[in-house]
Amino acid sequence: MLDYIKGFIELIKGLGITGKHLGMHAVTLQYPEEKDVMPERSRGVVVLLSDKEDGSLNCTGCLLCMKACPTAAIIIDAPRGEDKKRVLKKFELDFTLCCYCGLCEEACNFSALKLTGKYEYSTGDKDDLLWDVNKLQDVGRDVDYEDKRRKKVAKKPAKPVVDANAKVEDKPAKAVEIKPTESADDTKPKTEGEA
Amino acid sequence: MSDLRTEEYDLNMGPHHPSTHGVCRLLLTMDGERVVKVVPYIGYLHRAIEKICENRSYAMCIPMLDRFEYVTSMSCNQVFSLAAERLAGIEVPERAEYLRVIMLELNRIASHLIFFGTTAMDIGALTPFLYALREREDIIDLFEMTCGQRLTYNYIRIGGVSKDIPEEFTPRCRKTIANITEKVEEYKRLLNGNPIWKMRTIGIGKLDADLALAYGASGPILRASGVDYDLRRDDPYSIYDRFDFNIPIYHNGDVYDRYMIRLDEIQESCKIVGQALDSIVEGPIKAKVSPNFKPPAGETYTRIENSRGEMGVHLVSDGSKKPFRLKARGGSYPHLQLLPEIATNCMIADLVAIFASFDVILPEVDR
Repeated sequence: MLDYIKGFIELIKGLGITGKHLGMHAVTLQYPEEKDVMPERSRGVVVLLSDKEDGSLNCTGCLLCMKACPTAAIIIDAPRGEDKKRVLKKFELDFTLCCYCGLCEEACNFSALKLTGKYEYSTGDKDDLLWDVNKLQDVGRDVDYEDKRRKKVAKKPAKPVVDANAKVEDKPAKAVEIKPTESADDTKPKTEGEA
Repeated sequence: MSDLRTEEYDLNMGPHHPSTHGVCRLLLTMDGERVVKVVPYIGYLHRAIEKICENRSYAMCIPMLDRFEYVTSMSCNQVFSLAAERLAGIEVPERAEYLRVIMLELNRIASHLIFFGTTAMDIGALTPFLYALREREDIIDLFEMTCGQRLTYNYIRIGGVSKDIPEEFTPRCRKTIANITEKVEEYKRLLNGNPIWKMRTIGIGKLDADLALAYGASGPILRASGVDYDLRRDDPYSIYDRFDFNIPIYHNGDVYDRYMIRLDEIQESCKIVGQALDSIVEGPIKAKVSPNFKPPAGETYTRIENSRGEMGVHLVSDGSKKPFRLKARGGSYPHLQLLPEIATNCMIADLVAIFASFDVILPEVDR
């Protein structure tokens, strides 16, 4: 009998704890109407970033992100033109494969792509998840970012400065395992492209 | 009337049964509501993670291993990074070690909160699930603030961590820890004395120490059976030897003890996080590791204490940039094998309680 009374008291205690929550504020959001603010570092869809001044793509087609991607979600076609500069012909991102790990963003030395806090791109059609360069650029137009690229205006006129920068530039390019000949080339299009 | 008889019948529980926490099929031989035989069928979530890792560079393996045991992804990152660091002889900066410990312990708390919520829900108490996930959300927010993801972090890297914690992390983390320590007391008040909860858990699914050791059980399940064994203390890795924490031990080995030990561990982990936040040092967060990382040829078996027991990686390197062989060991597999041993001859409702108390996560079993 005593056990029953004890048990009953414990039940009432538990009910008191649940009852306390009646007066508490709700912790959930009514999603489509209210939206949570995504943190700054949030890793959502990948976008291609454009230059802050002229709006052109930052991407130089160096293939570093493609090589860093563990799921091969990035497809780049950038053959070398006549002046040995890479010309970006195709940049596609397959979001059915992307695992949002962020390794592409870390591999990129040119602030060309970024994982943003954007979401809500679900679709009923699988083909819509293969984004081409235009879509990736359009989605990323309003994204604020820190430009990792060298400042072009200040450093262009004096020639020795360009050389010094080229050396600095070599390091990250080499580190991400490209053949030495390629890495030397990769810096070139950048210097000229930004000029 | 002489034809009237009872006979045993087979019953499939799963693969999509909500209480199997994943995709596991239990083939039960039943005699009425009594379970005569249990045979777990696994493999529904096999993704060949080990083979995938053999075809990728070391840095690329980490996001893949995030999916190995997604409730505590941080520990998957940690165990792989630790193994690669041991192979290559990389020294991790002090600050990175502190950040790792903070993240690992927060992840352990998050995992145990999920255990608390889902186990109570499986046994029939829905309220704890809502409370536990509310508290877990705070921890997940901390992770998202730091590394950008809520579940598959890719945070702990070979040689350190990927990003430093943001400024507002420390005050928010302290608040979260204080809140959770307080809330765990509330959970205990809510359930421990509840007569229905006690009836459903005390004396159910008894596992003695010998059987647990014979099957290679580890972690909270082994400690609930009275074996004092915790890799954080017995095979120290990272900087766990600098913190002052207790390792809770229970002796009955039933569902109730397995539940209590995890609640106690949440509080101990809160203590560790608090101490780590107090004593954290400034400095670099990542050792210099070439992106073209090639450890020398050799092999290592590295293990850490996960929220589910011993998590280990056997990593064999042939000196190239990809692992030659990677064998991942999770705590859940031996625990699932224990189920037929201790669930035989129990009621089917108790089987659910026992299965929940093991906190098995199927992606880790199937790999």
